[in-house]
Amino acid sequence: MNSKKGSGISRREFARRAAIVSAVSVLPAGSLPLDSASSKPLPPQSPDAPKLSTESQAEADARYEAILSHYRSRFSDTQKADLYRLCLLAQPSLDHLRAYPLENGDGPALYLKPLVEREKKAEPAAPRATSPAAKRP
Amino acid sequence: MPAEEIFYLPLSDLAKRIETKKLSPVELTQLYLDRSTKFGPRLNAYALLTPDSALEQAKVAEKEIQHGHYRGPLHGIPYAAKDLLAVKDLPTTWGAKPYADQVFQYDATVIEHLTRVGAILIGKAAMIELAGGMGYRFASASLQGPAKNPWNTNCWTCGSSSGSGAIVAAGLAAFAIGTETWGSIICPSAFCGVSGLRPTYGRVSRYGAMALAPSMDKIGPLARTAEDCARVFAAIAGHDPKDRSTVPIDKGAFTYSPSLDLKARPLKVGWLTNAWPKLDSGVAKVLLAAEKVVRKFFGGTKSATLPDGPFEDAANIVVSAECAASFRGLIRSGRVSELTDPLGQISGYVNEQYSAADYLRALSIREILQKKMEALFASFDVLVTAAQPIPATPLETNLETDLAFPDPLGAIGNLCGLPALAVPCGFTENNLPVGLQFVARAGDDFAVIQAARTFQAHTEWHRKHPKLA
Repeated sequence: MNSKKGSGISRREFARRAAIVSAVSVLPAGSLPLDSASSKPLPPQSPDAPKLSTESQAEADARYEAILSHYRSRFSDTQKADLYRLCLLAQPSLDHLRAYPLENGDGPALYLKPLVEREKKAEPAAPRATSPAAKRP
Repeated sequence: MPAEEIFYLPLSDLAKRIETKKLSPVELTQLYLDRSTKFGPRLNAYALLTPDSALEQAKVAEKEIQHGHYRGPLHGIPYAAKDLLAVKDLPTTWGAKPYADQVFQYDATVIEHLTRVGAILIGKAAMIELAGGMGYRFASASLQGPAKNPWNTNCWTCGSSSGSGAIVAAGLAAFAIGTETWGSIICPSAFCGVSGLRPTYGRVSRYGAMALAPSMDKIGPLARTAEDCARVFAAIAGHDPKDRSTVPIDKGAFTYSPSLDLKARPLKVGWLTNAWPKLDSGVAKVLLAAEKVVRKFFGGTKSATLPDGPFEDAANIVVSAECAASFRGLIRSGRVSELTDPLGQISGYVNEQYSAADYLRALSIREILQKKMEALFASFDVLVTAAQPIPATPLETNLETDLAFPDPLGAIGNLCGLPALAVPCGFTENNLPVGLQFVARAGDDFAVIQAARTFQAHTEWHRKHPKLA
């Protein structure tokens, strides 16, 4: 990045934009600007739709709106109804996940250990060296 | 021996005949090819049969064996590979229309390993499109149509290794390679009445395999017996520099020999009491009998319970988010609409919406779960329960509504990368197979093999096979 030549953004500008983006991400769905088409009513909920809290309902609705804001023309009305149903069905999993108590120090179970361990060892000459089956009678 | 019997011989028997030159690899390959040509299309079992290259490989194997160069128990043995494994110059469609013309110029590591031990690839097994990563509502979610269960062709094989299950159950090949992200080896094994091994995450290289959820994808065999699975696993396991998730070289390889006997160590077995909230009545009846066998032959078997927590939710989010990343281009381009299944056409858009914070939260929960399972495995070497709570479903079943049940063990096992082995343990009144699964701590694949072999040493269910019309 070279902000002096105007081909990028300055650190200050980057911080300002980041602050705006992070603020937008925590706004309630209802306060997000909607395009004209997205003001259409949401599809009716199917009888098997999960019962959600007001906040979770708003999040699921926002998820549906976010998809339509990008891809609206790709879906038939039937698909939109199905999409809305899927958005609602996704919400309870997220609610359960967020309700589970986690401490700040709980680390994510990323699968980096093999990479870290391998760096300490010499690479094998070929993958076959590890498979004993070829050598067995 | 009646011709029909040879198709169902376990690997050890086939290998013995081949090694002693009583059975020709060319003859065996031709027999399986003929049978696959006849029954494969009826079952929608194959994406592709490769008779020319198979016979070429068989001739090479035969020549080598005749000259005294016997490579081991898979030499000259015909097999099929799920159509998400790259095979040089052959179509690798991932079961999905957008990739129908895809051809790779290299072999997946698993294919390389099997080629080096002399196994003969006779075809690519049909599969659920994109291994079901985008979700699917119907068994027909495949380029080949719904895979039909050899035990009852009005029923499904389960997915996503649907063709692999059909091929082994129908005796169209000696074994088949499948993959599992969540249930795709264990469920087809259960529905089709075959033995299927889901190895520990990282034991088998995924290089050249379609990525669905890279932190959960695993490759393993479906075969006649637990011992057959072990033999195939020994050939395909091992560290691979091309797959950075494979375990280190000193931990990745797996050596199996029947001389490592059933009493290699006394196994502490836990019979799971909360793996399935509800069992189909036919499955429950069979399972009761299986439990008696387990308790009889594994002294000191105790009841065990899985930890409680949002582990299915975490697994769902990990699979959904990673799948959205794996197929981002397909979703963004809109070509996801070319998928067969109505659910598959749209659910990727929802998967794209999961936030990084929620994904990382799921990974944190995974680590907590790993510790909980380690604690459970301090008391048990192997956990046992039904492989599925229901038998094979009719082909037209709406899987989203009628095959939706909690699967905490599937979630936990796959989220933690635990090995599992499913074996047949009986039949329902409608003559549909029921499976039993053994699960062990990560890295202890031998424990599930030992436990399943012990079960099969005292039962005959793995010797049953369907009568094909």
